Amino acid sequence: MTQEVKTRPLNRLKSMYALRAEVDKMYEAGGEAKAAGRPVAWVMLEGWANPILSAMDVVSVYPENYSSLCAAAKLAGPFLERAESEGYPTHLCGYARTCVGYSARMVELDGQIPPEAPAGGMPKPTLLVSSGEVCDARFKWFQSLGRYFDAPVWTLESPSPTARESLTPGTYERNVQFLTNELKQFVNFLEKLLGKKMDWSRLNFTGEGTNEINRLRWEINQLRKARPGPMHTRDFWSVMSSALYRGGADPTAIVEGHKKLYDEVKYRVDHGIAGINRPEKYRIAFEGLPPWHSLGFLDDLAERGWNFVCESAYSPRRPINIDLSNVSDPIERYVRSRYRSLADSIVDEFGPEEAPGVIAEVKQEGSARRLRLRHIREYQCDGVVLHVLLSCRAASSGLSLFSDQLLDVYKVPSLIIEGDIIDTSLFNPAEALRKAETFEETMEHYRKVRKDMGLEW
Amino acid sequence: MVVATKQGMARVDELYQERSQRVRELKAEGKKVVGYLCIYPVLEMMTALDLVPYRVVGDMREPITKADHYMPPVVCPFLRSCLDLGLKGKYDFLDGMVTSHICDVGSSLSGVWNYTVKTPYHYHIDTPHTVHDTSLEQLRGLLGAFRNSLEEFAGKKMTDAMLTKAIVLHNEQRALVRELYELKKPDPPLISGAETIKVIKAVQSLPTGEGNALLRSVIAEVKTRKNGPVKKAARLMVWGSILDETAFIKMIENLDANVVMDDTCVGSRPFFDDVKLTLDPIDGLARHYLVDIKCPRTFRARDFYATKKNYMEDLKARFSYLADYARDWKANGVIVESVRYCDTHGYEVPGVRDYLKEVGLPSIYLEHDYTEGALAPLRTRVQGFLEIIG
Repeated sequence: MTQEVKTRPLNRLKSMYALRAEVDKMYEAGGEAKAAGRPVAWVMLEGWANPILSAMDVVSVYPENYSSLCAAAKLAGPFLERAESEGYPTHLCGYARTCVGYSARMVELDGQIPPEAPAGGMPKPTLLVSSGEVCDARFKWFQSLGRYFDAPVWTLESPSPTARESLTPGTYERNVQFLTNELKQFVNFLEKLLGKKMDWSRLNFTGEGTNEINRLRWEINQLRKARPGPMHTRDFWSVMSSALYRGGADPTAIVEGHKKLYDEVKYRVDHGIAGINRPEKYRIAFEGLPPWHSLGFLDDLAERGWNFVCESAYSPRRPINIDLSNVSDPIERYVRSRYRSLADSIVDEFGPEEAPGVIAEVKQEGSARRLRLRHIREYQCDGVVLHVLLSCRAASSGLSLFSDQLLDVYKVPSLIIEGDIIDTSLFNPAEALRKAETFEETMEHYRKVRKDMGLEW
Repeated sequence: MVVATKQGMARVDELYQERSQRVRELKAEGKKVVGYLCIYPVLEMMTALDLVPYRVVGDMREPITKADHYMPPVVCPFLRSCLDLGLKGKYDFLDGMVTSHICDVGSSLSGVWNYTVKTPYHYHIDTPHTVHDTSLEQLRGLLGAFRNSLEEFAGKKMTDAMLTKAIVLHNEQRALVRELYELKKPDPPLISGAETIKVIKAVQSLPTGEGNALLRSVIAEVKTRKNGPVKKAARLMVWGSILDETAFIKMIENLDANVVMDDTCVGSRPFFDDVKLTLDPIDGLARHYLVDIKCPRTFRARDFYATKKNYMEDLKARFSYLADYARDWKANGVIVESVRYCDTHGYEVPGVRDYLKEVGLPSIYLEHDYTEGALAPLRTRVQGFLEIIG
């Protein structure tokens, strides 16, 4: 009798493993730097600080990533409990509470890394770099760490205008100047803290390196539009950490890793190979932050033919291809190389014919609806999983409107799954799976609706 | 023009029950009413153009039914309530809505409101998060853009003289509110915490000049009335997120305590610092709205450029005004409160309590979900707290 060998539901990319391993080096580098008496910064993920810190020889570690690592290892629980006993409300960000618990433990151990910390832990910081970008937690959390560390906190500001205000004349240039001046102040502060001058050629190297990584990530994501989807969201999440957290520290290695990733994804596209080892029945987008503790849930869905082909969080931005040779100020050049005006972005995305209509829509409705929904159309998604997080307002508050608009415009339904980025007790995989099974009928229904309406998929 | 027949606390009660009464009358007379959320939209600019600023708040007694469709239950119930009322047409008299980057959900609400409630004019001010010099410069630019937009909406220019005149009028209101708070210093206080919320909410439902007149009549009445609060064992201060209804404070004041001071946003927070009169009025406004208002939504520190941090010194720089309040209003305990899912206040709780402990002020943290029904268990905790502080 021949025994059927059952393959795993996900078809993982081989080039992913080397990039995923790069993240371990972040923690190794942090430990080595601390042992050698070199500065270590705890940094919030944002688009600006990493290349600057790397150019100043500051090793960056990312508590957001570390908290997700604790969650994935199922080791976050005691840190969450510790944060609660420290008086932090339980609805606060799971990343933050894990970090607070970790910090409190570190103080208890006189600055030593807690022995229960996975991946070697994060060493005591010399500096905390928080951010006004994306969510409130990103600056309030680090401010509150003043209870545990005497490290200074620098909050990097960045503008977050609404779509309509972004189109107001003067907004883009004002924001460029704001960012430029903010980063100059940051550099001045680092020079004072570290007692050394910025190496501008080094910033040029790390800045361009991270831009190149972004460009490769964007091109890989373009390949992911193919049918069947060649790269599953789990692989995207596995490699994104290397780009976002290690890009400034070792751009050469990360660029090389992404070139290999590109080649492998391209090969799959050319040969019709999918990111799952089952027939692709449904193309799904993941909206929100991942359930780091329960990623295997996506494998269960892959078993049913659900291929997660795109996601909203951590996506690369479209590369900016403009001549900046006339911009002499290195910080301003750095800003302009990675910050595009909304009007130009819309033209880049939609082309000169469709762009005026999108701009008019933004002015009329106040939001870039078509811009926001665009990836669902481009990746021809049959459904969207909305991960509503009980501890994250920023990622969750806009999901319902997104779902509403998506069904209205493209007749693509959403499945709401409640959970958390860290806290396993807030996620019920069995219930989520049951909801997913029922949701398949909904996706089938709307597939017909889209067909009747003459939509492309 | 319709003239209010009631004055003082009777008028306050009337407006507390039917907030939009006066602005609807004004709208019928041709005035434009502009709603605003939280305390960061720049009211002086609205007043300068003869627009009527009207604070958008929620309703603890109204079950949230329509907002669920657009905002999940895991976000601020106060803001969800505001949206719910908007979706139910209870703010349909507004000609405009101005929001600012108060917090994640506040910003998100701005977009949802714009898309779903469709108030004719909508503007969002992307207020920065820090008090860096660059942020101040950024806010100056943002207020310039807001000024242009508001001029277009109102159909007239806003000269510096008009803006300065409006700043003076709003500063007058701030001074009157501070005068009202002086009446909370005696023991017993001449006005209760619950009544104070009613007064502030009523004032924020009127054009500034009328609000000032109301404040004058309230102050005159409260100074001479015989039926004010009675003396109680505890004099408490309340710090925290929005309390736009009296229920929470009443729950405390129904026990053996008077709430004599607060640092909340339908309370002292928007009124305890004046806008400085500057050559370019935008300069004074930017500083006030970014630096002077002490809401946790803004990152402030003792010294941004210090290379070493001292936690207690930093707390002192951020919260010493609370010790001043407690001393001047003779508060012997602090209720630290936050509406559930308010991140900006939530992160501040351990720090503010550390500071209060350092200066010898006992405190208790209470979290609520913006419903009256959920206040009962909190009452027991406050009772316990009162026993501890004696």
